[in-house]
Amino acid sequence: MSSYVFISLAALYCYLFFLVIFLPAKKNKLIVHFMLVLITMILWTGGSLLMRIQMPPSYRFWYHVSLTGIWMLPYAYLCFIREFCRISRKDGCRVWGILLAAGTAVNWLTEWFLPAPQIVISGTGVSFVYHMGWQVCIMYGLCLGAVVHMFVMVFKAGKRDPERAKKLSAVLFGIVVLLVGNVGISVFNNFPVDILAGLFNAFIMFYSLYSLRMFTLTTIGSKASCYVLAIGITIMAFYNFAQSLNEAIQRRVPSLNSVSVMVVVVLTSIATWIIYLIMKMLFDRIFIGDESSRTEQLSRYASEVSSSLRMQEIFEAMLSMLSRTLNVKRAYICVGDEEGRYPMIYSSSPLDDRSFSMSTDHPLVEILRRDGECLLLRDFKRTVEYKSLWEEEKLALDAMKVECFMPLKDGEDLVGVVFLGAKESRRGKRERFTNEDLSLLRSIQSVSSIAVKNSRMYEKTYREACTDRLTGLLNKEYFLKRVEECFERCKNTSLALIFLSLDDFKLYNQLYGEKEGDEALRRVARIVSGTVGESGYTARYSGKEFAVVLPDYDIFSARGLTENISVQINNINRQREEADTFRKALTVSCGICAIPYAATSVNEMLINAELAVYQVKKEGKNGIIVYSDQFVSEKTGAQDTERHKSKYQEYAPTIYALTAAIDAKDHYTFQHSKNVANYGEALAREAGGSEDFQEIVKEAGLLHDIGKIGIPENILNKNGKLTAEEYEVMKNHVAASVEIIRHLPMMDYVIPAVIGHHERYDGKGYPRRIAGNDIPLAARILCIVDSFDAMVSKRCYKHRIPLEEALRELERGAGTQFDPELAAMFCRMVREGRITLADEESPGI
Amino acid sequence: MTFEEKLKNGEYEQIWREYCGFLDLSMDEYMAIQNRLLKEQMDLWCASPLGQKILKGRRPRTIEEFRQMVPLTTYDDYADVLLQKKEEMLPEKPIIWIQTTWEGGKHPIKTAPYTRGMLQTYKTNVLACMILSTSNEKGKFDIEPGDTFLYALAPLPYTTGLIPLGLKDEIDVEFLPPVSEAVNMTFSERNKRGFKLGMKKGIDFFFGLGSVAYYVSLSVAAMSEGGKGGSKLRALMSMSPSMTLRYLKAKQTCRKENRDLKPKDLFTLKGFVCAGTDNRCYKDDLEDLWGVRPIEVFSGTEPSCIGIETWSRNGLYFFPDTCFYEFMPEEEMYRNMEDPSYCPRTFCMDEVQVGEVYEIVLTVFKGGAFARYRVGDMYRCVGLTSREDETRIPRFEYIDRVPNIIDIAGFTRISENSIENVIRLSGLGIQDWTALKEFTADKGRPYLHLYVELTPDAALHSAVSREILKEHLTIYFKYVDQDYHDLKRILGMDPLEITIVKCGTFENYRKYRGKTLRRINPDVHDVREMVKMQEELYAQRRH
Repeated sequence: MSSYVFISLAALYCYLFFLVIFLPAKKNKLIVHFMLVLITMILWTGGSLLMRIQMPPSYRFWYHVSLTGIWMLPYAYLCFIREFCRISRKDGCRVWGILLAAGTAVNWLTEWFLPAPQIVISGTGVSFVYHMGWQVCIMYGLCLGAVVHMFVMVFKAGKRDPERAKKLSAVLFGIVVLLVGNVGISVFNNFPVDILAGLFNAFIMFYSLYSLRMFTLTTIGSKASCYVLAIGITIMAFYNFAQSLNEAIQRRVPSLNSVSVMVVVVLTSIATWIIYLIMKMLFDRIFIGDESSRTEQLSRYASEVSSSLRMQEIFEAMLSMLSRTLNVKRAYICVGDEEGRYPMIYSSSPLDDRSFSMSTDHPLVEILRRDGECLLLRDFKRTVEYKSLWEEEKLALDAMKVECFMPLKDGEDLVGVVFLGAKESRRGKRERFTNEDLSLLRSIQSVSSIAVKNSRMYEKTYREACTDRLTGLLNKEYFLKRVEECFERCKNTSLALIFLSLDDFKLYNQLYGEKEGDEALRRVARIVSGTVGESGYTARYSGKEFAVVLPDYDIFSARGLTENISVQINNINRQREEADTFRKALTVSCGICAIPYAATSVNEMLINAELAVYQVKKEGKNGIIVYSDQFVSEKTGAQDTERHKSKYQEYAPTIYALTAAIDAKDHYTFQHSKNVANYGEALAREAGGSEDFQEIVKEAGLLHDIGKIGIPENILNKNGKLTAEEYEVMKNHVAASVEIIRHLPMMDYVIPAVIGHHERYDGKGYPRRIAGNDIPLAARILCIVDSFDAMVSKRCYKHRIPLEEALRELERGAGTQFDPELAAMFCRMVREGRITLADEESPGI
Repeated sequence: MTFEEKLKNGEYEQIWREYCGFLDLSMDEYMAIQNRLLKEQMDLWCASPLGQKILKGRRPRTIEEFRQMVPLTTYDDYADVLLQKKEEMLPEKPIIWIQTTWEGGKHPIKTAPYTRGMLQTYKTNVLACMILSTSNEKGKFDIEPGDTFLYALAPLPYTTGLIPLGLKDEIDVEFLPPVSEAVNMTFSERNKRGFKLGMKKGIDFFFGLGSVAYYVSLSVAAMSEGGKGGSKLRALMSMSPSMTLRYLKAKQTCRKENRDLKPKDLFTLKGFVCAGTDNRCYKDDLEDLWGVRPIEVFSGTEPSCIGIETWSRNGLYFFPDTCFYEFMPEEEMYRNMEDPSYCPRTFCMDEVQVGEVYEIVLTVFKGGAFARYRVGDMYRCVGLTSREDETRIPRFEYIDRVPNIIDIAGFTRISENSIENVIRLSGLGIQDWTALKEFTADKGRPYLHLYVELTPDAALHSAVSREILKEHLTIYFKYVDQDYHDLKRILGMDPLEITIVKCGTFENYRKYRGKTLRRINPDVHDVREMVKMQEELYAQRRH
């Protein structure tokens, strides 16, 4: 047998090897078509080989097998290219298949196109002589047609998808080699250039599929494959060289004559082993190194995230994993919160805009929750759900340069979504995500979902256990733990503790409502944490009390910081942005104690700091005291004590002076204000208000219409209904009242009641249109008693409404105009005679 | 398209135009950019609650009205909003908050918001700095992906921490040591690791505060000298073959020239950038050490990166799209210092005069929080055009901080208040004092010179030698000012000098000269005169 047969044998072996590799693999259409190409090549090469060695049943049979391979190869190739270019099936490929198959079948039966060659036995060996007629041109013409169709397809694909077309260039080169090889057979005097070209082409196709990541090389890189390859190569080598080697040994080393065969066998075995090792090394180093490193990285990632309960660490590990394995440099992570939204909470760079957020009904959230699979942006754009995306959302996705979405799921629940940016090649060019990438993402997804879910639960529990829900500061229990830790750390240096207690906060809540009170607490918390920064820990110690622990701070520095905080808290309501709200200034009583200056243990420090706060409160609030045995007051505040006690009595003359001014202009308003003050005080008492509060309502009642000083008399005393314009002027009396009271800073506490006495419980009042309990309690009281007195009084433009009817009117308005509970309470008081009516006091009015 | 992609596409001319094109602007074009961006910022800032708070409800419509209505501001005007990070009050939602130290104890930190637009501009400006640091003529620069940076910068939340992040998005550069490792290292650990990696991979860029860069350079030089036998051999083994060759060659050269090894013998820097105050004290030494003269940038927490020198190293140009610049002449500034109610005049970029010294006033663009903000820096205009740079816009030289602040080596911000605090806390019997920033005669290094007059009682009853005063006050300076502490900790500097003047000197000076010395940075001639006067008075008494 000539050594040329060796080439055919090698080619056949390679084709079979490739086919065996792909047989157990998970197949897609592209791989199936590649296998078809391989089969046609096997038919061609194998048929040709068996024909040459005249294997039974007959050389004619093997000739037809070979010819079937040759003629069906263009069609198989065409199908492969079609799949490669992702072209739909309705493009006429099948016609070529039918024609070529029909032609082949006809030739099997009739040998009309190309008859089988004749065997000519000459001195050197056997040769096959072909007698070609013009008919053969029909079949080769068909083959050529299929090839031309293939090139057209590639050209079109190149226009549509240049990236993929680039990958086709290798395949096209293979085809050209194949064609040249077939033409070259006549040039090289029976040397099977065509077979060699076919072999080369198969390698190129194999490489193309690999570069598309259509299969994993880990399966190929198994020991079995390496053995098969090594054995195959050795057999071929043995087949070709064993004889000559044996002869060479016998000739050159005559002493080994008796064992020459054994030497050959041993040498062959050693060669097999070396070839196996080389194969294994090649696969490991060149092909599967990448993939096995992915597996390794995945397992390292899994152990890394499973050992962490901190979301930040998990996200960092995830992004580092994505960057290492897929070269994805940008990623954003949205995690579901308690309100059902998915805000972005992490991104690969701290400089990214993280304002993006999705609601539960966001189309992307719905798809990912439903499918639970990674979704490419280009696929998302083709979904119906994409149509409902807002332009702003589309722009946001574009700005983030997202390419793929990876859901993090826990059963049916969508824990979060990872937005992956572009995958970059080693040269920094954007690449598409392949199936293999998506399968890796699936693995990352399953590992991460559990980790994120656990850490989210852990952090939530941790947060709830450690922080105050309203202010976000540490809670008392956790703060105390921190203080203990700080104490251990700063035993030999210093540790300062500050307690800050808001003054008259109950009154603040009563005046402005709890909503405003909570807002004030949040503001104070922001001031405290913003000022302390990373110098210490801050906590909401109790309802209105905050605490700060400062490691390595001495008393001097702690006092400086406290002064700073205190000034800022004092300024909270002086700098409010809303023009129509005027609130009483917040003040704070602060106590400081520090180790080792005034305490030696944590307990002692806590008690001493509290004592210092108590001392400030005792001395008139709004001050700072550093604990020492003598209680040295560090800031003024003590002189306020007396003023506190008697402030209402002190303001009384001012209030009466103001009311006298209105009396001079409009006697009715004066009397009305007095009535409202008395009714208001009574209702405030009935509602359980403190003495301070009752006093405030009384004073607010006296002053609530003080702004009417500025209303023209013709409007004030107009007979009949006011016009719209006049009504607008009349409405201004609220703002005018507030303007007047504002100039008396000591009386600013009545403002909430005055400004809110025309607000309605259903939010349709004026000037702020606030509703329900957002209206300060004092204002809700004034609203009822003001309306009541207006109804039961006689005015120049209206008659007095009978008492019972006025009460019924109040009851009718309960829940819309009036606070239902207070209205009922007031009516009950009147009916039960527990309130002195103005008429009873001064029947003349 | 990222900067790296542009580099790979070979778009060198476009890159130069995009990042350094502002150098070709005419004055009118420059002002057009300034005015247009100020209009955008005016709309954002004036409508924001922060702007309304400072404007007290007014609303300027033109740039002139804006400059008239908005008062000159300092950090105190923003503290309540910015320290509490009240994002809802700002002109635009910030992406990141940058932080720096403020006053020790009472105000530990100050924070500044950076919006998306500001960060984008910052990124572009940092790349411009990188480009210009490598250029030795117009249009030429040398940057490649994979270039290495010696990391001598403070990490986030300090403003310099933005540089690695900004660059990461645009080009693949390697920091030595990597930023993720560097943030957890001490200063000296970072230097050692950076140097070790540099010996393996080479160092292409070096960004740092002038003084810090000098200190790092000295440690690099010391480390290059290596240890004894064994460790030297180990060090040699860990180097790349080319670096080993270089090292051996450098050693031979140094032996021949009979000098110590310098970083320039081992590394060829492409770009060297330094920032901060007192750079001029270090530039010559740095050039000697690295063989490249550092290019100066101006960057601050509040305004971000605003100015850069060019290849000529002859004056700083301000980026036109970062802030609106106003310049307050020195005499106006002094007048305002003496009479805070006086409203000083400011000039725009097209109104500055050559040779004049100005305090800079900034309005940060792109939704920034600061408007007409006195950042506290002084510049001298050194030219309105430059033939060498082919520019037609003014260029400036950084002078120092404003006179009522003493900044040593870019670290401290010592004010009258802080010195008063130090003296009060020290309990030393100091009756009068004045402080001056001076420079050493030999190397021109900055130091704080405190002239003190003791109370007669203290002089009589306490141990108040110059050394005791120095030690005592240094301790309190460190207590009051964390940055002062860092000067010693990081740079090993001890920048306090004490001169004790005779009892009664300050009073006599007031009496005979009829003027009072400013507490911080008074005229150096006045101080000399006062010191000299002690002798004159003695002479008078003898007669």
